[in-house]
Amino acid sequence: MEKTLIAMTSITYAMKAKNLLNGMGMYCEIERTPRNIGTGCGYSIRVKGEPDKALGILDANKIPHKKAYVI
Amino acid sequence: MQQIINFDNSATSFPKPRSVAAAVNTAVTRYGGNPGRSGHRLSMEAAAEIYRVRESAAKMFGAQTENLAFTPNCTFALNMAIKGIMQYGGHIIISDHEHNAVSRPVYALSVGRGIEYSIAEVTDDTEETVQNFEQLIRADTKCICVTAASNVTGKILPYKELAALCRRRGICFIGDCAQAAGVMDVTLKDGFNFICTSGHKSLYGPTGTGLLITDGEYALSTIIEGGTGATSSQLAQTPYLPEKLESGTINTVGIIGLGEGLRFVREKTQKRIMAHEQQLCRQFTEGIKGVRDVRIYRGGGEYAPIVAFNLGDRHSESVAAQLSDMGFALRGGLQCAALMHNSLGTLGQGVVRFSPSAFNSRQQVSALISAVQSIA
Repeated sequence: MEKTLIAMTSITYAMKAKNLLNGMGMYCEIERTPRNIGTGCGYSIRVKGEPDKALGILDANKIPHKKAYVI
Repeated sequence: MQQIINFDNSATSFPKPRSVAAAVNTAVTRYGGNPGRSGHRLSMEAAAEIYRVRESAAKMFGAQTENLAFTPNCTFALNMAIKGIMQYGGHIIISDHEHNAVSRPVYALSVGRGIEYSIAEVTDDTEETVQNFEQLIRADTKCICVTAASNVTGKILPYKELAALCRRRGICFIGDCAQAAGVMDVTLKDGFNFICTSGHKSLYGPTGTGLLITDGEYALSTIIEGGTGATSSQLAQTPYLPEKLESGTINTVGIIGLGEGLRFVREKTQKRIMAHEQQLCRQFTEGIKGVRDVRIYRGGGEYAPIVAFNLGDRHSESVAAQLSDMGFALRGGLQCAALMHNSLGTLGQGVVRFSPSAFNSRQQVSALISAVQSIA
């Protein structure tokens, strides 16, 4: 089953993003970034629904992130 | 064994709230993973706890959550801030009330890196003090770093006015808030670019905890690099806060304990804790002011809840030792603050320092007053 991951720059920003998105009703969880898409030892947030909406919220709240991946 | 009453809370507060001890126990027995290092449940649960404490501490100091780094103590935080700002040289101004945690890194930079520093005199007059700083500003002045409140006498410096001066002149402002945080409402809104504080004094966390908080205006060069759990494939240190400043495994147990210390302060409120401790300081100064040859080091202006005193020419360490034999913990000597003692003229004698906490009572202070009277 496909899932959308937004790779984050750190565990702190992953936690901040998770709390923000969950608070806005967008369910998400934190998981390790798969080796094939990350730069090593990183965290991603797994989002349900439209990743663009989640990315927009992160950008509006100045939460740095890397790319979104559907894997 | 005789129970000892602690009036040396400026060194580290004791006792701690029971909730802090309980949280430390929970941390040791439950949150055993390394936060930010793995995806397994142990690591993620520890990371969530750390984030919760980070969020709580950041809120107290008016910071963004990611702009608060945990450090081993205030000295580490000050070293990171001072050396991070002064990495490429320049001029820094400190006050004559500083702890060695400020003066020694500055001195070391002057010897090893060729930076230059000036020491501004703090007087009882706020305007005069600010002028003393302003007169020392040069074209290459990068930073003013001062204590918010002296760890020797409790004297509160005009940090808000100095922050305004720094804003006007485009200079970074670093605050040593080790004696202020938890009793005074110091936040980034006061104009600090960096707040450095311990977690184990008036924030009631365990020893081994400190905070480095930034408003994000100045990027710090790092003085320690290493594993951060982020961007690990690259040789360069991660650029993202707070991990950039938290290389190596952090003190999970201490930080979780600190979380309960912060809760204790928040629930009691800084205002009430300050009022209680100030009342104890007033009681103490009133109680000993008639003692033969006593000298109390308080002048004009405002003071954090600390009282420094001496009995005649007797060395402060011997007075503190006598009081220790009678069941009271007070600190004699120089309190790691040579500059301040130089200003006071007490480099030889030191001072005896009385510093209460939220847990001390009027009865305990009465007993201490009787003890001081009996040895005078």
